[in-house]
Amino acid sequence: MSQLDKRSPEVVLEPNPNYWNTARKPTVRIVFDNIISKADAIRSVESGDGKVDIVTQLTPAEARAFKGGSHAKLVVNDAKTVLVGLFNQNKPNSPWKDIALRRAMNMAIDRNAMLADAGGGHGKVIPALIQPGRFGYNASLTPYPHDAAKAKAAITAAKIPGNTIVIAADEGLKPLVDDIAKNLAAVGLTVKPNYEVEPGKDWDIKLTFGFDWTPAYPVGVLHREFLGKDGGSRAMPEDPQFDALYAKLLKTTDEKEQEKQVQAIEAYVHDQANLLFLYSPAVLFAVSNRVHFVPYDTFMLELAETRVN
Amino acid sequence: MNPEKPTAQPLVPRRVLFASLAACGLLAATGSGGWAATYGPQNTVTVVDPSPVNWLSITWNTMEEPMRVDDHGMAQPTLATGWRWTSPTTLELKLREGVSYQDGTPYTAANMKTAFDRVQDVENPHPPGAFLNFARDTKLEVVDAHTVRMTFPEGDSAALMKLRGMHEPSDAFWAKLGFVDEAKASASGHW
Repeated sequence: MSQLDKRSPEVVLEPNPNYWNTARKPTVRIVFDNIISKADAIRSVESGDGKVDIVTQLTPAEARAFKGGSHAKLVVNDAKTVLVGLFNQNKPNSPWKDIALRRAMNMAIDRNAMLADAGGGHGKVIPALIQPGRFGYNASLTPYPHDAAKAKAAITAAKIPGNTIVIAADEGLKPLVDDIAKNLAAVGLTVKPNYEVEPGKDWDIKLTFGFDWTPAYPVGVLHREFLGKDGGSRAMPEDPQFDALYAKLLKTTDEKEQEKQVQAIEAYVHDQANLLFLYSPAVLFAVSNRVHFVPYDTFMLELAETRVN
Repeated sequence: MNPEKPTAQPLVPRRVLFASLAACGLLAATGSGGWAATYGPQNTVTVVDPSPVNWLSITWNTMEEPMRVDDHGMAQPTLATGWRWTSPTTLELKLREGVSYQDGTPYTAANMKTAFDRVQDVENPHPPGAFLNFARDTKLEVVDAHTVRMTFPEGDSAALMKLRGMHEPSDAFWAKLGFVDEAKASASGHW
């Protein structure tokens, strides 16, 4: 998304008492504290000392360690999120141009075990980029099965140099990288993690998070972002077939027809396996019991409905 | 300001020192109108949000658009009360009546046209990326005080997604600030 992250020590949002939408009329002042560390903020919510009421984006490890007790609770939101790996098809002599290898990698990993372990059980395994029940979900798709034997045959045939691959990821995803490494060891691959903020160009798979904030237009921000010709995260040559599907969608204003096309795009993306599909992680919040907080499935932090109990 | 009159924007930034394009532009246009005095620790909620898109959350808490996406991820009308495609290339929006900005000026179709035209003047106005830009040949015309018509010669079913990101500030906002990065004296980014 954006690099806009220069923060002042504090941002204060005052409620507008004359807001036209009475259903969303805010009743509290919001203060963003940009000084306190995340760890201290979580401890504050746990202790009920009143300094901090809400901490966003807990990692699964932080959620596991969080002790709400009588002062606070963990809020778990099944938002429209995805965690995927980008196969680097742009590096010289990239083995990832081979669709059989990409599909094999998708069969080499045990998503349910990863979600239970690294994901702390917070989230959903999904076939591609859209969750069940959401606009454009394709019920005919199932996640790639975990089949280490079949995966190993295709991965061995691909002759990856040194049987070693580099996985680039944010350091906060280390537990997930460790789980992937265990799965890949079972199919004969060694993983070298790269946790650099700027990992360079020589990685094989980059773990990437995405979220859909749109009004029923997931292809605009997820599929296009990862695979489209103007996608900021695309790690492969342009895919004229994907771009044609998206161009067709852009000209389709009928919502029912749009949904059929989104389902077709979802099926194409699943079939081509240009991504290592992982899961849809839930968004985790530490919330003081003095506060009523409404999480948004868009992943956006909207606070008009926040109340003091 | 008429305190009885319904106004736009649920939350109003009081102290915003962000360097981001959107957030630094909000302060003078909206103001706090002295409401701060009625809020103390008992009704203050302190939030720690390490998200890299915190700037976007603040923008969407303090600006208002033709439509929004609710907590279930569904489109909801806000400053537009409804919309319909009258042809594959024409989108008509009915706008909310009886709503004013905090300075008392009424919200009308002219505000939406200003917002559209001002953003169209900028080459790269959206930090998330150029995919949120309307095509250069897109037009927005005022049909009446509370109706606008948008035409997309090439078609654009992503229009509603783009309208979710089209903030509609007051004339005072545009006159005093606009979406300008003070460091670059420009509203156009590298995105």
